[in-house]
Amino acid sequence: MADLDFSAHRQAVHLTDEDIARHKRFVGLEAADLPRIAAVRPIVMERVDELTTMFFDFLRGLDVATPLFRRGDLLDEAKRMKREHLIAMVGGVYDRAYVELQLELGLLYSKVGLDTRVFPGAFYHLMNTVGAIVMANAGDDPQKAFQNFMAVKKIGFLDIGLMIDIMAAEREQTISIQQEAIRELSTPVLQIRDGLLILPIIGTLDSFRAKQLTDSLLRAIRANRAKMVVMDITGVAAVDSRVANHLIQTVAASRLMGATVIVTGLSGDVAQALVSLGVDLGTLNTVGDLQGGLELAERRLGYRIARQADSSLETA
Amino acid sequence: MGIPILKLGHVLIASIQDALTDNDLIQLRDDLSSQVGWSRATGVIIDVSALDVMDSFATRTLRGIADITKLRGAKTVIVGIQPDVAFAMIQLGLDLDGVTTGLDLDEGLAAIGRGDRGDAGHG
Repeated sequence: MADLDFSAHRQAVHLTDEDIARHKRFVGLEAADLPRIAAVRPIVMERVDELTTMFFDFLRGLDVATPLFRRGDLLDEAKRMKREHLIAMVGGVYDRAYVELQLELGLLYSKVGLDTRVFPGAFYHLMNTVGAIVMANAGDDPQKAFQNFMAVKKIGFLDIGLMIDIMAAEREQTISIQQEAIRELSTPVLQIRDGLLILPIIGTLDSFRAKQLTDSLLRAIRANRAKMVVMDITGVAAVDSRVANHLIQTVAASRLMGATVIVTGLSGDVAQALVSLGVDLGTLNTVGDLQGGLELAERRLGYRIARQADSSLETA
Repeated sequence: MGIPILKLGHVLIASIQDALTDNDLIQLRDDLSSQVGWSRATGVIIDVSALDVMDSFATRTLRGIADITKLRGAKTVIVGIQPDVAFAMIQLGLDLDGVTTGLDLDEGLAAIGRGDRGDAGHG
C-alpha cells in the first residue's frame, strides 16, 4: 500500500512556513548561530563522506533497519541524499528547499518501511561524531568550538522535529486510508428463509459503520419483508458500551419496522465485559451462537426443521 | 383535515396520508378512542408509511393511542415506519416500546390475529 499511494503522499505530506518557523523556535535557532555553523562548515565538508558512511553503518547494525539494506537501489539513493543533507545541514540556509530535501529523504525511508524510532538514535550518533570532529579541530579555543557545535546541534534537533512531523503525517494518512478501506467493507444482509435475515458483523463497529449497517438492515427488512433478523457479532473484536449502544439502536430501529432481532455470538469475554460495564442488554434477545439463534428464529416463524431418516449423510 | 378511519371486520384502520399537525394527531386519538368503543373493534392499525418524519409528539401520541385502545380492549399495531424514519427515531431516542409494530398493513392484520375471531360475527 505504501508504494501504491506514493504520489498522493508526496502532495499531502506538506509542511508550511509556519511549521518550519515553529520548529526553529523549538530549538532556539537564531541569527547568531549562522556564523557559528559557517565556522563548522569546512570541517564537516571535509569529512562528509566519512560521516555519511558512519550514519549508515550505524543503521546497518540495527535489526529494524534491515529493510533499507535489502533494497540496493534505494540504499544508494538514500546515501546520496543523506550526503546532500549533511552538506545542507551546515549550509546555513534552512528554508523550504531544505525541508523539501528532508521530506524526500523521509519519504524514501518510509517507502522501505524504515521505522521512525531508529532516527533519534542514528541522529544522536551522527551528532556525536560531528561534535568529536569539531572539538578535535578546536585548536586553542575549545569554548568557541563548543558554541559552534551547539549551533549545529540545533540544526540536528530541527531535523529530528521535521522528520517526526513528516512521519507522523505519513502515518496518519495511512491510517485514514485504512479506515476508508474498513468503511468500504460491506456488511451483507442475507435472507436465508422467508422472513428471516442474517446479518454477520465483522470488524470494529464505529458510529459511522453502525449507521451504515442499520441503514442497510432496515432496507433489507423492507425489501425482504423480514420478521426475524439474526445478528451475529462473533466477528466483532471488542464490544464496549458504545458498540453495545449501537447494537441496541439497530435492534430498536428494526423493531419499529416490525422485525425482531436476535443477537448471537457474544463470547464469554464480551458478555463479562458488558456486565461489568453495567450495559443494560435487557432489551435484546440474545442467544449463544448463530445456530441457536437461527433455530429460535425458525421456531418463532413456525418452521420445523427435521432431518430425513434416509438422508445421504446417514447412509454414508 | 381529519384522518379517515376504515373498519374492516373487527379492525379499525387509520391510514395517515399527509404530514400531520399536532391537532390532527389529537383528533385521531379522540376519534379512535371513541370508535373503538362503539365499533367493538379488537384491533387498530395505524399506517404511517406515508410519513417521512416522526417527532416526539407523534411518537408519544401513538403510544398514547395504543394504551387507550388497550384499555378499551383493542390491540394497536403501528405499521409502515420507513427505514429512514426508524433510524431518525432511534437517533432521537424515540421509541414505541410496548406497541406492536409491523412492516405493512398485511403484517398488521396478521399481528392482530384477525383469523382468531373470524367466526365471531360481523359486528
